[in-house]
Amino acid sequence: MKIKLCSVIVALVLPVLLASCGKEWLEVRPVDSVDQYSLANAEGINALLIGAYSMLDGVTSVSFIDWGGASSNWLYGDIRGLIANKGTDAGDSWEGQAILYYAENALNSMLNTKWKSEYEAISRCNSAIMVTNQALEDGTVTNEQADLFLKQARALRGWYHFEAWRMWAMIPYIDENTDQNLISNAEDIREKIIADLQEGTDLPDNMDAIGRFNGTVSKVLLAKAMMQMKSDYTGALPLLADVKASGTKPDGSPIGLAPTYGEIFDIVNRNGIETVYTVQYSVNDGSAGWNGGYGEVLNFPYKSGASPAGCCGFFQPTQEYVNSFRTSGGLPLPDNSYNLDPVESDQGLRPSDPFTEDTGPLDPRLDWSVGRRGIPYWDWGLHTGSDWVRDQTYAGPYSPKKQVYKKSQEGIFTEVSSWSSGFTANGYRMIRYADVLLLLAECQIETGDLAGALENINAVRARAANPDGFVMEADGITPAANYIISQYPSFPDAGYARNALRMERKLELGMEGHRWFDLNRWGNTIEELNRILDYEKTTPWGTSMYYWAAVGPEDVTYPIPQQQIDLSGGRLKQNR
Amino acid sequence: MILSSKQPVLHVYYNARCIFFIFLALTFRPCINAQTDTGTSRDSLGLILPPETVTDGYVSGDKTDIKGSVSSVLPSMLKAYPSGNLSNLLQGRASGVTVTGSGQPGEIQKVRIRGYSSFLYNDPLYIVDGIPSRDISFLNPADVESLSVLKDAGTSTVYGSRASNGVIIITTNRGEKGFSVNYDMTLGVQSPGKGTRDDVLTAKEYADLQWLVYKNDGTVETHPIYGDSWNPAPSMPFWAANTDWYDEITDPAVIMNHNLVISGGTENARFYAGFGVINQNGIVIHTHNTKYNARINSDFTFLHGRIKAGESFSFSNRNALNVPNLSEESPVHIGPYRSQAIIPVIMTRAVNGINNHDFVPGEWGGTGIAFRLGGTPNPVADLTRNKDSYFIDNRLTGNLYFDINIIDGLDLRSIFGGTVDAVQENIITNPTYERDYDNIAERRVTEINSHNDSWVWTNTLTFEKKFGGHKILALAGYEALKYDIGNAVVNTDTSYYTETRMLSSFLKADYSFMDRYLLGVTLRRDGCSRFSESQRFAYFPSFSAGWHLSNEPFMERLSRISDLKIRGSWGKTGNQFAISSRYSSYIFGADIGGSYYDLYGTFNSSALGYYPMQTGNPNIKWEESFITDVGLDAGLFSNRIRIIFDWYSKKSADLLYNPPVAGTAGQASPPFVNIGSMKNTGIDIEMSYQDKWGDLGFSGTLIFTKFKNEITGISESVKYFESGSFEIGSIVRNQKGEPLSSFFGFEVAGIFKNISDVENSADQDDAQPGLLKFENQDTLTSVYWLWVQERYKRKNFIDYRDKTFIGNPTPDFTYGLDLMLSWKSFDVACFFYGSQGNEIFNYNKWYTDFWPSYQGQKSKSLLYDSWTASKTDATVPRATNHSGLSSNGVVCSYYIEDGSYLRLKSLQLGYSLRADLLNRIRIKSLRVYLQAVNLFTLTKYSGLDPEIGGSDLASGIDYGNYPNVKQFLFGINLSL
Repeated sequence: MKIKLCSVIVALVLPVLLASCGKEWLEVRPVDSVDQYSLANAEGINALLIGAYSMLDGVTSVSFIDWGGASSNWLYGDIRGLIANKGTDAGDSWEGQAILYYAENALNSMLNTKWKSEYEAISRCNSAIMVTNQALEDGTVTNEQADLFLKQARALRGWYHFEAWRMWAMIPYIDENTDQNLISNAEDIREKIIADLQEGTDLPDNMDAIGRFNGTVSKVLLAKAMMQMKSDYTGALPLLADVKASGTKPDGSPIGLAPTYGEIFDIVNRNGIETVYTVQYSVNDGSAGWNGGYGEVLNFPYKSGASPAGCCGFFQPTQEYVNSFRTSGGLPLPDNSYNLDPVESDQGLRPSDPFTEDTGPLDPRLDWSVGRRGIPYWDWGLHTGSDWVRDQTYAGPYSPKKQVYKKSQEGIFTEVSSWSSGFTANGYRMIRYADVLLLLAECQIETGDLAGALENINAVRARAANPDGFVMEADGITPAANYIISQYPSFPDAGYARNALRMERKLELGMEGHRWFDLNRWGNTIEELNRILDYEKTTPWGTSMYYWAAVGPEDVTYPIPQQQIDLSGGRLKQNR
Repeated sequence: MILSSKQPVLHVYYNARCIFFIFLALTFRPCINAQTDTGTSRDSLGLILPPETVTDGYVSGDKTDIKGSVSSVLPSMLKAYPSGNLSNLLQGRASGVTVTGSGQPGEIQKVRIRGYSSFLYNDPLYIVDGIPSRDISFLNPADVESLSVLKDAGTSTVYGSRASNGVIIITTNRGEKGFSVNYDMTLGVQSPGKGTRDDVLTAKEYADLQWLVYKNDGTVETHPIYGDSWNPAPSMPFWAANTDWYDEITDPAVIMNHNLVISGGTENARFYAGFGVINQNGIVIHTHNTKYNARINSDFTFLHGRIKAGESFSFSNRNALNVPNLSEESPVHIGPYRSQAIIPVIMTRAVNGINNHDFVPGEWGGTGIAFRLGGTPNPVADLTRNKDSYFIDNRLTGNLYFDINIIDGLDLRSIFGGTVDAVQENIITNPTYERDYDNIAERRVTEINSHNDSWVWTNTLTFEKKFGGHKILALAGYEALKYDIGNAVVNTDTSYYTETRMLSSFLKADYSFMDRYLLGVTLRRDGCSRFSESQRFAYFPSFSAGWHLSNEPFMERLSRISDLKIRGSWGKTGNQFAISSRYSSYIFGADIGGSYYDLYGTFNSSALGYYPMQTGNPNIKWEESFITDVGLDAGLFSNRIRIIFDWYSKKSADLLYNPPVAGTAGQASPPFVNIGSMKNTGIDIEMSYQDKWGDLGFSGTLIFTKFKNEITGISESVKYFESGSFEIGSIVRNQKGEPLSSFFGFEVAGIFKNISDVENSADQDDAQPGLLKFENQDTLTSVYWLWVQERYKRKNFIDYRDKTFIGNPTPDFTYGLDLMLSWKSFDVACFFYGSQGNEIFNYNKWYTDFWPSYQGQKSKSLLYDSWTASKTDATVPRATNHSGLSSNGVVCSYYIEDGSYLRLKSLQLGYSLRADLLNRIRIKSLRVYLQAVNLFTLTKYSGLDPEIGGSDLASGIDYGNYPNVKQFLFGINLSL
């Protein structure tokens, strides 16, 4: 009986004991996470802003936005602009191939990646803005601190929108107040982009960190946006002139033309005098390559023999681009007649077969922009031809070069922990001083100042002509090819100057992601690219590579990713 | 209960009127024993009589009172062949249960009960001796006394928010009075089979194929290996090998299993001690799974049985080396499908490689020997080098209980138990030199140490009473539990798990009248810390009823029907495992590769940055399933034939899904919302027949499982979402109105025969003779379209709108057939398992049937059966170095194959030694047997094995599947 009683007591008491601690007992906060309230202070906002800056390379590991989002625009600017083809072999990245032959459709996942990249970046800017406002309300930051944060965030937001605009034109503008259920791409958002970039122009020039946006950077970006979106050369000109006169890097150090051309692309000079803004890549920092130019990781010679390590053999320059370096009297050939005297290549030859190099006059910038047989390739020795190329029969004989690291830099400026050493610290030179001069010259031509334009273009050419900057044979004194380059004596008329300017941008800035956007700005995308296609199809590899390619009126934008249209519930409209 | 020789087996057999038919398959054998009266020999098989009670883990009841749907599996079936994992042995043994998995030793098979009821989590809940678990790989099948699958709401609702995917109740053996020793041993070998030898090219054939491509494409070049393309035939390099890579990565492998059980005791103290070891080497070299188990269960009674107390403790140590399965990185993909035969496994000649590595004889061969050997690593070299990687799982599970009989019929039971699970993993990667690129420079070791613990404390009051014709069984319980207590340390980085706590109470009442009319009701209230306060508690009710027709007087005239019961149940269950406690909060994250930036231009470091990681939803709640079940149990001809039939409908609602939001919202994980819904309807049938003719005994059991799954809703804005992403895009589209994991792509109409075929077909990107022609799914007959064609002379064209559903990996039905024959001292048992109507997406073909899909291995059919100008009726597209929509660029039905199969999973021939002889040397029984596992598989599928698992959202895609292979075994069962 005693036991019975005990048992009954136990039976009755146990549940009560358990129930009494119920409510609090079930309250478990997630560990290892941070909410917006814990970030509403200077340190937290700065970290959110860094998160926004980190999207400048266009890639991020957290949602696996890879090369499709690369801000260096090798795919959307240069391959689309026929400076290079997709490269590698036929089976590799069919979707990249579609962009090359103007057959991409709204389902192309590369485009979707790019879209996601831009708007992820914008959402990070908006998070920073929202949390700054929260912190202002809480009084955890001063007005001055908040002002600097907000201006950076808005300049970044303007830039990311501009990137999206020049891809798709019809894009929604998203700020911290946007209701995602009400987005639309019907309205003209160019003024909003300009207003955001304008905010950044008030930033001081010395931001104490090379990786931030400052006044100078914001001015260049604003000028670019005004030229691209509104052909507003009058508005852009003073901004660029101002930058030329007194601009600095974000850490306050001076900007100007680097003395020689090739040095610009050496990793050690990524923050050299030439670069107004470089996207700051880092390697061996624990990110397993994600901060080391993930967007360009495919664009190295196909690793074999003595060729540079790295991977994949994408981004092979086109014959037409190579030909355009042909000079006559030190100047580029007018009317694209350079294609009548194409640069000799080793197409179809084995490395062991004899090959006679091209002896005609060439702009020396060719051999810093393109890897080709017989020419020294950084410190990797001579480019030996087809063994550096994944499939010559498919994509031709050329290799990319500007972003490739030196042999002596392997392991120091390249990632050692990942599947490729093509993750490098060779940050994308987003704004170069020569780009600024050429943009300025473009404004001058369009506003009638041909003399000013001549001066700026010739400054760029004079630097290219510096023989100290020629690619030299192993002896260090013999130029690797017949380099002949000179300055323009004069610009007889605006048409001539315009032609010269456009050619100069191709020669100076090729393989740096600008070409297709430039053509769109000038309005000659369709005829220029069809002309190049007609030529490129005559190469031994061109027939199969460009078989279906033709540029139509719709090809001045990319289609808006179908997935995004679907996800918006039809609020976004296709741009074509 | 181990059958002892003196037990009146026949009596037991004939009295087992109301037991589920599945048990009868084996009860027949005791019956023969009784007949032949040799008594002991077959007893030593470890035959276990079906229990006359069933348990839902909290309370045991008379089996006749079951109104819901429960499948019980005989323990002997769970020992049908040696396996490192119990789940493997469940395949085809219980209706409504679908099990798929690869042949990798120790692999945890995918167990699905009655289809799918969630997008995120579909594993059943396991209750082992009262302790909940989501994984039973630690169990030794030899220790299992009973296994029951609770399938309907009537039986499973008592587990409330964890029961939606079904509940599997496992109890382990307890000691019996007396003393007994049993020892079982199995020894055998597994054969890798011929692999892909007859499907892929030899070195010479590969060269011929290259020449065919040149010819088809009109390409002129100098091939770095085979010479000038203008030569009439390719030349072979001096170092050429002719490697059968499948053969190289596999070897016959031994399998060994020992179990020793000692049990015994007195009236008031009993113990069971089981020790087991299974050592299974995989057919892929160096893969293995070794598991040691020790279990002690003891029970004590005090005060004339008024108080019972006891414990269960089990320790398992599992040591395994596995390879990735269903992965493009896996040696079972790279070996059979992607490595060119010309590459030597080990160099026999000196070759100057292309990476400044000069190969000498004895070194590993690889793609670095010459250009164009494809990008694959040498899988033999990698497997051999990395063989010292390991995975060790130490798990201690146990419980303590006491049971007080307060007054007659009223029992208080308290049980406290838990699990301590520690996993240690070392992943070693060694330097390589033989690859053409991506050589690994440094030895890398990743060390992972993790532990994940849980505990549960359950208190129940049970009341049982019979009076007049009434019978009442009632249960009230209270339970507290915690799981996911632990952390994971990867090298030096520690991450902590967010633990989950639950607090629950439950009530259950069963009533029966005259053993004819049965009623039951269950209610559980769960509180769970994974939900925010507003959604924290939920109720899960169920109702069930049964009518035992055969106990009605009017049935007595129908003497052929020995047993008949109609039953039905309805109820609600939940699924809490689909959600994480994080889903309710708005969270920022910091990720070095995702949000850090080298703000100061250091080149080799980056500054901390945050990114929006997760958009929270504080209103998140439980997933729910509503299950309706109608069933029939029947026994005919004195129960020689037994049938259990169930029809069910399971409607799952409030399924968690995070509808993708437009990219403009950023990449923060979109909030999970309870928005999806899914429906499964199906039938489960279990039938058995058994009889005897003199010395000859026969029994047969058929298990039949059929269900139809349909996604009935995803969200308002989203009609579908994709999964299974590959180089050719997403293979799977999960769409409203379709079953989960449906393959979606272009339907292949054929191969373009010639130019005029191209011109007369709908416009299709890069259409060429010899390439794939897709079906136009647009409605060509619509008046509008006809008008458009007429007016604009516009041909129809193929674009993404022409994609359609091209297959589904879920079988129409699966079945298991168990046949046993015994004659005197011999017994023969065979077990067939089959799956009908499942389709497989054979992604291996992307590599082998299309020339430009990497320069890896290719199929014989590409060389011999592909389209050429003179072979326009070919079924394989032209061998061409061209990629695109019409070639290898998109998901299409070219890859779909019928995956139906019928497999003889086990064939066993046993002989029991004469008991009278054995008794002289004090042996109770001794049986020896020979067994073949997976002796044959009838299938049209061209890959290594049609049994292909994969995640629920993208299953049935073959891209390197560790095959289930033949095993030949010898075994001994010994009883002292």
